[in-house]
Amino acid sequence: MNQKNTVTEQICVPMTVDVPYRFAAGKYMARFLTELRDNGRFVGVKCPSCNRVQMPPRVVCAACHVKNDEWVELSSEGTMVGFTIMYLPLTDPTTGKPHEPPFVYGSVRLDGSDSTVEHMVNVEPDLDKIWVGMRMKVVLRDREERIGDLSDIIHFEPLPGQKRPQ
Amino acid sequence: MSDRVAIVGVAQTRFSPKRADANVAELAYEVIEKVLNDTGLSIEKDIDNTISCSHDIWDGQTISNIGITDVAGGHLRTEEKMAMDGSTAAYYGAVGILSGEYECTLLLAHTKMSQTNRHIVNNDAFEPIYSRQLGLDFTSAGALQARRFMHAHGLSREDFARVVMKNLGNAMANPLACRFGYYGLDDVLSAPMEADPLTAMDAAPDVDGAVAMIVASESKAKKITDTPVWIQGLGSCYDDYFLGDRDLAECMALEKAAAQAYKMAGISNPVKDLDLIELSDEFSYQELLWLEGLGVCKPGEGARLTESGFTSREGELPVNPSGGVLSGVPANVMGLNRVAEAALQLMGKAGERQVKDAKRAVAQGHTGFCGQHQCVIVLGNQ
Ligand SMILES: [Zn+2]
Repeated sequence: MNQKNTVTEQICVPMTVDVPYRFAAGKYMARFLTELRDNGRFVGVKCPSCNRVQMPPRVVCAACHVKNDEWVELSSEGTMVGFTIMYLPLTDPTTGKPHEPPFVYGSVRLDGSDSTVEHMVNVEPDLDKIWVGMRMKVVLRDREERIGDLSDIIHFEPLPGQKRPQ
Repeated sequence: MSDRVAIVGVAQTRFSPKRADANVAELAYEVIEKVLNDTGLSIEKDIDNTISCSHDIWDGQTISNIGITDVAGGHLRTEEKMAMDGSTAAYYGAVGILSGEYECTLLLAHTKMSQTNRHIVNNDAFEPIYSRQLGLDFTSAGALQARRFMHAHGLSREDFARVVMKNLGNAMANPLACRFGYYGLDDVLSAPMEADPLTAMDAAPDVDGAVAMIVASESKAKKITDTPVWIQGLGSCYDDYFLGDRDLAECMALEKAAAQAYKMAGISNPVKDLDLIELSDEFSYQELLWLEGLGVCKPGEGARLTESGFTSREGELPVNPSGGVLSGVPANVMGLNRVAEAALQLMGKAGERQVKDAKRAVAQGHTGFCGQHQCVIVLGNQ
């Protein structure tokens, strides 16, 4: 056998690491999702210590280390606090299909909440037509089409009649 | 610097096949809230470090601790995850306190096996080019080890079945156990075969659950509890990664980990010096193999100890009086559950599964297929 250290062919073995999951929403998110599905409204939790309204609702206020147990209803309208125009076709893991670029992701703070929610924004991907501070409203699927996950939200869209501040 | 480290509190969920009512953070908070209430400690005032144990692929989340930092006191504070067995969380928690850096550490281990598929997750532990393509998982690798172990010492499936019978019988007294009962030899031998010689009863079932624990420096511990359990010895050791580099009938890594822990604890004769053992019997045969590694018996002699009742809860050296991992403890959580069960025994808080006059115990955990990494912790209440 040839003992010389010769350069060999490079081999890479293709493999898909395909792991199926079924994630439990848990008590807090199950209530959030059923309120959204059945009543078309957003709910958050209010910390008994710092009064911070958190959305999505979760078991503990991380800042205060206390259990959240007061529920509050939030508005379906809010303010855009940040956005990006996406030029990469990012994948939706529940369908395996890409979102077609260009599209807009926005961070919207619903009125009454201290947290923001991130979702698609139905607006032309044009920097002249999107701005921080824009007033937004949520657009949900029709009641009979809602299934109890985040796809029940179609997107946010700007409230009509707004002008970009100079 | 602290001379000694003590376990001052323990909380565990019941272990159930599926906790669809709780997400990972809620499951973790069940035990965190309980251990804080039980000890009267607060995250803000008392806990200066958190170490959690979970696994990215089990959790389906890159950096699996991200989802629990809020409930574990990691928000704007420190929190470290280790992706090995939960016994190793206790190891690092103790080391952090011995170093003098921390005074009071929250330990946590959590896994929901129900949310994915054990065989796929475990297959991803294998090296991708040489072993993974075969589809190997922990059950098939365990079966290779079991058969090699049987061949080395003339052991039989009945020898393994007696471990299942003992542990599931012990689990009758454990309200947290998922699988329990008084079974006969035939029940175990005739259970559905998964990978010869291992049946479904020779393998731990899939369950969801979490364990939390608080460890503290000596001065802090004495303010918290009248029943501190001292961590007296620690050991940790890896064996070869490739199965083919090991003789699977042996457990050198466990022997080395145990030697470290026993030296630190001043144990020269484990049978005489220990009052009970909680070990990670992910598969039935492992209890017999790990007993050798822990220096309790000579190679091949563990089966006789089980058959004679030496390792029963009322025997000379009870092994897994809780029912062990065979009674249902999640992957990653199993080692911290061993430490917790041993600690409860030494606190005198083990309820119906209490071993009389327990003063010293050893807890063993392992990570990877066929016990590649081994962790040994010696505990005492004196
Ligand atoms: Zn708060």
